[in-house]
Parts: sequence; structure tokens; C-alpha cells
Amino acid sequence: MADQADFERQALELVPQLFGAARRMTRNVSDAEDLVQETLLKGYRAFGGFEEGTNLRAWLFRILTNTFINKYRRDSRRPDEVDLGDVEDLFLYRRLGGSDGAIAGRSTEDVVLDGLVSGDVKSAVEELPEVFRVPVLLADLEGFSYKEIAEILDVPIGTVMSRLHRGRKALQKRLWDYASERGLTAGPRPDEIEASR
Amino acid sequence: MGELCDEALANLYPYLDAELDDGEIERIRMHLIDCPPCGDAFGFEQRLKIVVRERLAEEVPESALLRFRQALRGIEGPSV
Repeated sequence: MADQADFERQALELVPQLFGAARRMTRNVSDAEDLVQETLLKGYRAFGGFEEGTNLRAWLFRILTNTFINKYRRDSRRPDEVDLGDVEDLFLYRRLGGSDGAIAGRSTEDVVLDGLVSGDVKSAVEELPEVFRVPVLLADLEGFSYKEIAEILDVPIGTVMSRLHRGRKALQKRLWDYASERGLTAGPRPDEIEASR
Repeated sequence: MGELCDEALANLYPYLDAELDDGEIERIRMHLIDCPPCGDAFGFEQRLKIVVRERLAEEVPESALLRFRQALRGIEGPSV
């Protein structure tokens, strides 16, 4: 049996990762703190049943995700109820025009990847519907494998892959919008098009 | 776009996420060397994945860390 005295030490090491995901799931700092605290307390109480040597990180993220879904989720739409728009593969890459769009020796790709600030990426992720945002966070922020995400969310691996695929494409669409607003992409900005009408 | 390009693109995310078996990885890796457009596209997607992860970094407020420690200590009861 796992020793509860070990829990505090091991769990506190994982707090930065839990908080990072909680912050983007809940979209505000105070709910994120409550969610992490609740996860730690639930984990502490259940730790006796945790099989030592198995994946504590995935186990705690399962508690975090379930707590989020049951208590903090505001948007309970299923994937088939969400319209992400029609976004093709390689959306961002194709819009940036590959190396053809080079400006002053820097490709548009470099300009966009360097120019998107933390706030843009955070907002773009937060704008994803929750059913897509959660798997994207588990994969792209936390680096969990498809199998781990399937266990955390209690869905088949094929479902994980399909939600990640759609979620990442939708994320690229939003990143493109932020990059355009910042004037990082070739061509006129949306507000300039507006002004010239 | 050839058949191999289609196959590579269909496996873009599993490839970047290291979810393919060794044979599949090698097959795609060879194609990315042979086909500069695919190599370029995959390179961009790989960099984007890293950028997204870096820019999502979040500091835990000191006050929150303190609060979590106290919450865990609180249920252990007073220390002797």
C-alpha cells in the first residue's frame, strides 16, 4: 500500500504541471487554485488505493480532469454538437506560404512562430470548446501519450486521436487570427481591409 | 502530392507525438528527406508544437503553493 506520508512530497512536485493545465481548463486563476487544491485533497484521501510503481502523474491528472468536468465545466457540448468550422490540414503552414513568403531574409513562418506571444497562445487555447481543449492540453502542454489520455478521459484511443486532430486544427485557425491581428502575416491586416472599404 | 505524401500527412500527429512503431517512423522519416515540401511542412508543425508548449508555461503563485501545502498538512492533523 502506498504511504500517505509520501503523497505530499510527490504530489507537490507535480503542482506546477497540474496548475498549468487547471489554469487553461478553468480560464481563471481562482478556479484553477480551487481545482488544484481539491485534486490534491482527493488524491490524498484516495492515495491508499494507489498502486505504487504505477503512474502517479496520470492518476492525479485523471482526478483533476474528472473534478474539472464535474464541477467547473461550463460547456458540456459533445464533439458532434460543436462547430469548429472547416479547417484543412496544415492550415497555418499553408496560409503562411512556406518559404515563398520570406520577408527580409526571414520566412513568414519564423516571423509568426517568434511573434505570437504567450497571451495569444493562451487565449487561442482557452477559446477551444472544452471537449477539445482538455485533450489538447493533456497532449501539447503535459505531453501525455494517447493511451494515457484515453485512460484519463475514459474514452477509446481513436476518440483521443480524433479530438486532438480536430482540436489542433481549430487551434491553428485561432493562432492565424491572432497572427493576422498582430500584422505578422503577409498582406494587409483585417483592420486595414476594414478601413479601406 | 503522391501517395507517400498522403500517407505521411495522414500520420502527421501520431508521428510528431511519437505514437508510431519503428517501421512506420522510419518510412515517414525517409519520405520527409526525399520530399522537401513534406519535410518543410512537418518541420513547421514540429516547431509549432514546441512553441505552443513553451508559451503556455504558467507560474504557480507563491500564495497558492502555500495554500496547497497548508491544505495537505491540515488533514494530517497537528504535528507532534
